[in-house]
Amino acid sequence: MLLEVASLTTAYDGLIAISDISVSVAEGEIVVVAGANGAGKSTLLKTISGMERARSGEVRFDGERISGLPGHEITRRGVAYVPENRRLFPRLSVADNLKLGSYLHRAKADREQPLEQVFTLFPRLKERLPQRAATLSGGEQQMLAIGRALMTRPRILMLDEPSQGIMPKLVDEIFEAVLTIRKVGVTVLLVEQRLAESLEIADRAYVLQTGRVILSGTAAEVRDNPDIRQAYLGI
Amino acid sequence: MTTQALLQVLASGLLMGLIYALIAVGLSLIFGLMDVVNFAHGEFLMTAMYVVFGMFLFTAIDPVLLVPVAAAALFVVGAAAYLGVVRFAMRAKANQGMVQIFATFGLATLMQGAAQYFLTPDYRSIGNSWLGGKTLNLAGVFLPWPQIFGGLVSIAAFGGLYLLMSRTDFGKALEATREDQGAVALVGIDRNRVFALGWGLGAALVGLAGAVLAIFYYIHPQVGATFGLIAYVTVALGGFGSVFGALAAGVIVGLVEALTAALLPPAMKSIGIYTLYLGIVFIRPSGLFGKL
Repeated sequence: MLLEVASLTTAYDGLIAISDISVSVAEGEIVVVAGANGAGKSTLLKTISGMERARSGEVRFDGERISGLPGHEITRRGVAYVPENRRLFPRLSVADNLKLGSYLHRAKADREQPLEQVFTLFPRLKERLPQRAATLSGGEQQMLAIGRALMTRPRILMLDEPSQGIMPKLVDEIFEAVLTIRKVGVTVLLVEQRLAESLEIADRAYVLQTGRVILSGTAAEVRDNPDIRQAYLGI
Repeated sequence: MTTQALLQVLASGLLMGLIYALIAVGLSLIFGLMDVVNFAHGEFLMTAMYVVFGMFLFTAIDPVLLVPVAAAALFVVGAAAYLGVVRFAMRAKANQGMVQIFATFGLATLMQGAAQYFLTPDYRSIGNSWLGGKTLNLAGVFLPWPQIFGGLVSIAAFGGLYLLMSRTDFGKALEATREDQGAVALVGIDRNRVFALGWGLGAALVGLAGAVLAIFYYIHPQVGATFGLIAYVTVALGGFGSVFGALAAGVIVGLVEALTAALLPPAMKSIGIYTLYLGIVFIRPSGLFGKL
């Protein structure tokens, strides 16, 4: 397994946000973690990326323990994370945001190598290069955040609700991009509330409820589960 | 006032202003980077002056050549102040702002006390340096060479700082950290490293100013207080966090001081600066180029 989360528990000020969660992602997979608001999806990604500290349990990446490492070190190992609020550098230009994405590779001659792929995925970023990141629309900001993450040359890309707050047409574009990203060899761990759409592109899925995994399986299994159909898919 | 006298006032004010800008810019840089006001900034300046004084005393190398040495020494002092004091102050669970103020204020007191104890409270000065006491006669306007040198060092430092901020990866990392210190880990930047280097850079800049001042100003343990206070006025005028606001504000402060000194009795020469400060606080608290 590329990423293994074992019995992870994280709490904010004593309030348990995720409890004893185990999730694994194999190389080349698209795995979706679904669940309602407050189920602990974001906390899971924050803990994996080192932004939150786990109370117990561990995260292993490519066989090595990464839980407890500082966030920048986790990024350096090949785990890219696009948080829910994107965390772009708003007053810097689109070009500078992308350039900062390749900061880890600044000494390399082919530093900008992933840039072409980013422009193929999101051609509109190329038109916006001199603009400040803050002036982009929600969808474009999401694209820039994913682009910046790809510039770090990750082995796994973790996306927290990329469809949130953006217009429906762009949502499709971003889900399409996730498929393309996987094709070039990047594993994807996707957190989403839109279960139906994300199951269409995912290989496997985990469903969280109040901080625990209540169901997991292949995308087809989860889609066919009667409880899920009723609770999330509205069928 | 004759034209000649006015030119004299403007030229002296401009040169002193460039030096004030160089003193203030490090303070503004550090504030912009991490919202911490370094109350030991004046003591950094004092340290740089003593570094140059000591080196001159023992090696007889001219202060002009010691400018880079002072900058390097202060870089270490600044980075150490972050790693040894401020980093821990930032971990405070409550009332972080207060903790930071007291931590850097405590550092200032410690540095002053150490200077008094080890270096004595005596006033020192550097005699017989290349530039000390020499003046340039520019068509009847007399400009002291140490101040001319200081102005040139200041302009060069701001030029270098501009290139560093706009052209290098470290500059971009600094800007990104200013924008969102929690997000830089997402691109693999260690914010602690950026903070330590930022403190080093801010202190190195005041180190340059200290080296210049050591040529023509008295060196004593409390010297930081005088210039530190002017640095806070400068940063407030330029806008907290604005690096090039500090340049403009430094020049304005220098000119106001020179004009006040020319128009009012010598004992009142600081009135202009502090009136200006009060004016800013009432009329435009964010300063000329402030982002607050």
